[in-house]
Amino acid sequence: MRSTPIVTVVRYLLLDRVTYLVLPWAWAAFGFVLDVVVLQLIPGGHGDDRWVGGLVAVPLVMLVVGAQSVARALPFALTLGVSRRTYFLGATALALALSVGFGLAVAIGRIVERATGGWGIGMAYFRVPHLLDGPWYLSWLTAMTVLVLMFVYGMWYGLVYRRTGLPGTTAFAAAQLGALALAALVATWAHGWTDIGHYLGTVTATGLTGVLAAVVAILLTGGFATIRRMTI
Amino acid sequence: MTPAISAAGLERRYRDHRALADVTFEVGTPCITGLLGRNGAGKSTLLRILAGQEFATAGRVRVFGAEPLENDTVLRRMILVRDNQTYPDLRVRHAVAAASLLYPNWDADLAGTLLDAYELPPARPIKKLSRGMRTALGLTIGLAARAELTLFDEPCAGLDGVARALFYDQLLADYAAHPRCIVLSTHLIDEAAELLDRVLVLDRGRLVLDAPADDLRGTMTSVTGQAGSVERLIAGRTTLNRCTLGTQTTAVMVGRLDDRDRELADHLRLRLERVTLQQLAGYAAEYHDRTVLTAVRTP
Amino acid sequence: MSLPDGDGPIFAQIAAELANQIADGTVGEGERVASSNEISAFYRVNPATAARSLTVLAEQGLVEKRRGVGMFVAKGARERLVQERRRGFADRYLRPLVVEAARLGIGLDELLGLVREELTSVEVTTGVKA
Repeated sequence: MRSTPIVTVVRYLLLDRVTYLVLPWAWAAFGFVLDVVVLQLIPGGHGDDRWVGGLVAVPLVMLVVGAQSVARALPFALTLGVSRRTYFLGATALALALSVGFGLAVAIGRIVERATGGWGIGMAYFRVPHLLDGPWYLSWLTAMTVLVLMFVYGMWYGLVYRRTGLPGTTAFAAAQLGALALAALVATWAHGWTDIGHYLGTVTATGLTGVLAAVVAILLTGGFATIRRMTI
Repeated sequence: MTPAISAAGLERRYRDHRALADVTFEVGTPCITGLLGRNGAGKSTLLRILAGQEFATAGRVRVFGAEPLENDTVLRRMILVRDNQTYPDLRVRHAVAAASLLYPNWDADLAGTLLDAYELPPARPIKKLSRGMRTALGLTIGLAARAELTLFDEPCAGLDGVARALFYDQLLADYAAHPRCIVLSTHLIDEAAELLDRVLVLDRGRLVLDAPADDLRGTMTSVTGQAGSVERLIAGRTTLNRCTLGTQTTAVMVGRLDDRDRELADHLRLRLERVTLQQLAGYAAEYHDRTVLTAVRTP
Repeated sequence: MSLPDGDGPIFAQIAAELANQIADGTVGEGERVASSNEISAFYRVNPATAARSLTVLAEQGLVEKRRGVGMFVAKGARERLVQERRRGFADRYLRPLVVEAARLGIGLDELLGLVREELTSVEVTTGVKA
């Protein structure tokens, strides 16, 4: 039986097992080892398990993998009669599937981590302060959202690069920095920093996940707008 | 019957030039069509628009009666293998597997046969293939996909003579067994001439010739001999090209020769030479703005 | 295999080639002639062109179709071709011969002598009794 076009695109992308199935885990493992080493080197304090930040490698890898998914695989897919829309949906579906998997791994990792007293060395690898410290399902959802966000962001960058090359990509990045600067300016001008500080201090993981999901939606819209007029 | 391809008033403008201008034609199926023209004539642009990879500035394109752009049901019935095709950073067998996922009529046996014939190692990373081998990979995928509309852009670029002959043979054999609509753009015109049902010639973005291949043979003849004798034979005929060396003149004339013309030529000791499709395409490009080619266009 | 560099449509050239084979008995009466796909592969031409050449032969009554089996050389095809060619012999071969001979100033007796000589050498080299 023939699968739907979107599933076919996912299968097409997964022909590259190394990029999608090996690379993120390899980096996660590398981050873990790095954390262990770092923890051995710096003098340990007492009390809470310490978070060193190795897990950050995974979202960063997702960013790269997202960009990769539209780099060389897109033109060949178009050659083989896939529409841009279907390709975009397929890549997004893959992002979602991968993120669900990794998110679950993170949630389970947290449980194991807590049960083993931080792997016996007081290390918090999965338990990211503020972000991943609710119930396991919430951590799953949050991790998943972050990973989808990074993948989709990477895709958008990849698409902009494909369409406009380096100058366009630089402009694209500059525009985002500009927008951030403008927002900061507006915040300063409106004396809004205290409000923002207040929001960040009180926001729950759930609330933050919602915000991130909204960002994902924006990124998807931008990515789709970019791929729609793509020529190869 | 719905034609496989129909284009009407197709235009593609880039900032500083016009890649296609007012291109109108239809191609039925089954049929092998040659899309001919010099480099930069707009062949690739046209093929890419047909495959929904490029956008037309104006005009209309239909494949199997529907707009191909972003239309999965139409797109999955067609394939465009490009000259210097971009592949993912994978191995040969992955590219073949990808195509097998996407084409319902994919013929794995044919793909295997072609990989063997072109000596393409399935486990070799595509990046490490030579230019000719990458081209051969494209041909393998293009033929084994058995897409109802198969588009090849310069299918023989980078291939040696033996590999090209192999492609022509495989194309004919597979076409005979599975008739479909095949369009190939090429500048190796004479090599492919006998494969074609139909000839489209593009020149600087314009369609300057659209005719059944068989009808084109013999519509132009090159006549060489004494200037006066040449003039006698070509009197009253459209003459495209004339050059003189001493007392010898060579002229290219439009229109078929009958037995009496041949007798006269023989009597006048004129040498008659067939104008090849390659030369004919060149003349079509050079003289398309004149009406002299009506004889060629409407046989 | 490619065709001689003649002019005129390819299908006509292939038809002529096939007719030659029938005329000289390479393909005997009642024998199957090549299918259009076989012709297409052999001459490396479009299958439609190959099919058209068979149609030409069929229209001339030289081959006939047996449903589901293929095309076969018709009865009397060879004889008819030979008769036809005999009729065309003077036009096709004698006239150019005579014209060229006149150009070169070869008289009738000399010409006949040359023909006789040629005949002998053909008999020697090919064993064909002319």
